[in-house]
Amino acid sequence: MKALGFGLALAAFAGGAGAAELGAVDEPIKLAVNEWTGQHVTTRIAGEMLRAAGYKVEYVTAGYMNMFQAIADGEIDAALELWSSNVSDDYAKKVAEGTIVELGDLGLDAREGIAYPAHVADLCPGLPDWQALKNCAQVFATAETIPQGRLVDYPADWGTPGADRMKGLGLPFKAVPAGSEGALIAELRASTERKSPLLITFWQPHWAMSAYDVKFVDLPKAEDACFTDPAWGPNPNEVNDCDFAASRIFKGAWAGMKDKWPAAFEILSNYTLSVEDQQPLMGAIDVDGGSLEEVVAKWMAENESKWRPVVDAATK
Amino acid sequence: MTAPSGQAPAPRVLTPGVRAALIVLLAGALSLALEPAFPWVVTWPAEWTLPATQWVGDGVGWLLGWLKPAARLFSDLLRYPMGWADLALGATPWPVVIGAVTAIGWYLGGLPMAALGFVGLSFVLASGYWSQSMNTLALVAVSVPLALIAGGVIGILANEFPRLKPPVQVVLDVMQTVPTFAYLTPLLILFGFGPVVGLIASAIYAAPPMARNVILGLERIESEIREAAVMSGAGRLRQLFEVEIPSASAQIMVGVNQSLMAALSMVIIAAVIGGFDDIGWEVLLTMRKAQFGQSLLAGLVIVVFAVVIDRMSGALATERRRHDPRIAYGLLGLAVGLAVVFGARLPEASGFDLLAPLADAVDRGLGEFTAANGDWLAGIKNGVMFFVLLPLRIGLDQAVLPFTWGFAWTPAMSGALFAAAALLCLVLVWRGRAMAGLMLLIGAGVLETGIANLPWPFVLVGAAALGWMAGGWRLAALSVGLLSTILLSGLWERALLSLYLSGAAVLACAVLGGLIGLWAALSPTVWRLVRPVCDMLQTIPLFVFLIPVLMFFQIGEFSAFLAICAYAVVPMIRYTRHGLISTPPELLEAAVASGATNWQILRDLRAPWAAPTILLGLNQTILYAFAMLVIAALIGTTGLGQSIYLALGRADVGLGLSAGAAMAILAFISDRLVQGFAAERRRALGL
Repeated sequence: MKALGFGLALAAFAGGAGAAELGAVDEPIKLAVNEWTGQHVTTRIAGEMLRAAGYKVEYVTAGYMNMFQAIADGEIDAALELWSSNVSDDYAKKVAEGTIVELGDLGLDAREGIAYPAHVADLCPGLPDWQALKNCAQVFATAETIPQGRLVDYPADWGTPGADRMKGLGLPFKAVPAGSEGALIAELRASTERKSPLLITFWQPHWAMSAYDVKFVDLPKAEDACFTDPAWGPNPNEVNDCDFAASRIFKGAWAGMKDKWPAAFEILSNYTLSVEDQQPLMGAIDVDGGSLEEVVAKWMAENESKWRPVVDAATK
Repeated sequence: MTAPSGQAPAPRVLTPGVRAALIVLLAGALSLALEPAFPWVVTWPAEWTLPATQWVGDGVGWLLGWLKPAARLFSDLLRYPMGWADLALGATPWPVVIGAVTAIGWYLGGLPMAALGFVGLSFVLASGYWSQSMNTLALVAVSVPLALIAGGVIGILANEFPRLKPPVQVVLDVMQTVPTFAYLTPLLILFGFGPVVGLIASAIYAAPPMARNVILGLERIESEIREAAVMSGAGRLRQLFEVEIPSASAQIMVGVNQSLMAALSMVIIAAVIGGFDDIGWEVLLTMRKAQFGQSLLAGLVIVVFAVVIDRMSGALATERRRHDPRIAYGLLGLAVGLAVVFGARLPEASGFDLLAPLADAVDRGLGEFTAANGDWLAGIKNGVMFFVLLPLRIGLDQAVLPFTWGFAWTPAMSGALFAAAALLCLVLVWRGRAMAGLMLLIGAGVLETGIANLPWPFVLVGAAALGWMAGGWRLAALSVGLLSTILLSGLWERALLSLYLSGAAVLACAVLGGLIGLWAALSPTVWRLVRPVCDMLQTIPLFVFLIPVLMFFQIGEFSAFLAICAYAVVPMIRYTRHGLISTPPELLEAAVASGATNWQILRDLRAPWAAPTILLGLNQTILYAFAMLVIAALIGTTGLGQSIYLALGRADVGLGLSAGAAMAILAFISDRLVQGFAAERRRALGL
């Protein structure tokens, strides 16, 4: 899937150098708005760029896991923040079918890992070194996992990367899948309020990383061999005995978009956003209570040099 | 092991029930005895399962492809009324909407109803969720008529062609017990993305109450009325529409009311797909951030709608008297006048957030409470996990460990447990209560093994025995047949986990709800306090309560157990109270006259009289517990609920429908069993 995705992304870049036709400017381009604030920021900026280019834009709320049928049908035209670590199998199917095309990387530098709120370092001395976890499993033990420690893993439909790490590294932890992102956040919140132990599979950029002062455990650096060759890494008998492979965050669109709105397709293909830009905006919304529209409008006005060239390259 | 001791009873106590219990006991003992030699007795081997989920996926996929063009046409057509309703509600200035609801309230129920409408809608305005709320109302405004038409047609057809009644009942059961999440993916493929899917999902769920009430209403028409219509020489259609339906209108209005409530409760479920910026989506967004205060606020908006719609449509169904329409027009005129005079100077509806500080305070309070009380909360959780839930799930032999109970479980202890149970059983048999003794022995076996590890032959034989007792051979065969499909599809383990979790919750609800119901029946003050809590628990989107439960007790079975109980306990309370207070007054007078004490009246008159009603309450509690399993999966459980979510995330139609069907099968069998026993009790009481 990945290789195919890259191929398509390259094709998109190759096809979209220089100015393009605007296409059907009277019909609104529908962008997916999913369930998390970072994605709202990413999408809103892209939408405002399309507006600056002369398009009509409609923001459509869509469940992240269930939107790919809609993109394939052209009922949603683009989704701008897809995480390789957590993308529905349906996406790969639709890309293979040719109804969805990838638009290349968003440029957000994502990181996933085994994490803990900062106060946990006092409960398990030696953190962030992963070796420390070998000796303090009891600290993390609960009724469901005793005598092993408890690791709160991703919801089951996102895969079981936490459980794979524990097995690979031979750590005495049992992974308990959360039911939803809300359950992960509630765990972080309760642990921070109560100063209780917590080990959790988590990712950034995410507003909770700073809100709950979340730190990553230092695991052996990931290499391709780690996931295929048991001999690699600290545990000679298992694969997955290393940190998470870097996850990609990319953009996807309805296959028909390229012909219907050629310039918009090019703008979205070349659109990138960095963690340094996205994270403060998330904070301004989730922590300081600003509205998405105002926060993004302010950023767009102050950072025109970051986005205007992409719009101009496609339209002039 | 201990089976021989169970075969001691003398022939005179061999009632059918005792024989059935003996067979179950024998099946259990045999399975346990054979386990070491034949492990397949306990765990159904993977190679015996059929790739049923694959077949279902392929079959349904083919069917969907075939139906898709027609469905897409239908969904395109539905977009029009949806758009109109949305435009009408969204573009109408908020004073006019509030004025209109207040005016309708006045017309239907006078001052109290008008006040309810006004205060309710003002709350919605103050919450800052006005535009989302109007979107939600638009959805309900289109889906309910759809549900009413579908339900009405189904009901009338079932009434006209009595042979259709049994299959119609099954279809209605399926529509109500298969969790909506299980068929969202096929609906998405069929009808395309957007609010139309939510609309159809909520119409599917809201149609059965209408159909059931139409059937009931038409059945209950007195024969004189029918005969008069026949004698007047009117054609069948005229008889139906001019005589029968009007005479059944009271019951049909109950159906309308139930249908409205069902549609509203489904709004939040439909929001999972998105496509529509409605109040359900807001609840999901705030739930995702674990913001309890905000999600409670959004949830209360739905409660307000539910209460207003329930009371007004209830008045429409029961109250014949209408209030002066001139005042209603006056109110509406005043609102329109206000809107016109202030015009563009009216503050933006979404600009209100008067309640945000309150929501923040609730949220902070939750955090502080968790911080201050974490230790004893964790103590409760560990206690219940170690001593109740874990033994129920994996049995005493695996749950009793040095770090849970302080000692390890040994085979000798198993022997002692069985010996004690057998001894007690013998005592009970000797005293003529063979049934109770055998049930005790079976219970000891289940506790030793754990529900999740029960051998499948034992479960099948047990279900057959219960089915036979409750409804004869047909129900027994049906139960075994349906359970076998779960076994063959490979979802058995997950089904047992779901059975364990909902079983534990139903048990707790039966005891707790029964006691609260009893208390509320004895003291009207208690009922005044309990009733609004029950109302709220039934109408608020339960997602909201997952956050505090998670904060207090973290991810795990105990949290899921609590969440299920919070929802499923309500019918038990309501029905227990209702059963206990509806003893016929002449019987009560006779009892009082004969000098019985209050306690004697309760034990010997009210309780037996209430038994069928309480059993129906138990039945509802079971159905609610299964319905809640899917929501509880958002906490993190491992049963069928999790499979349904997995399937939704992967757009796996086969797995979703199979897991949904397995859940519906469990609910269906429990429902038929309890109803069978309730019918038997009613016969025994001569009702």
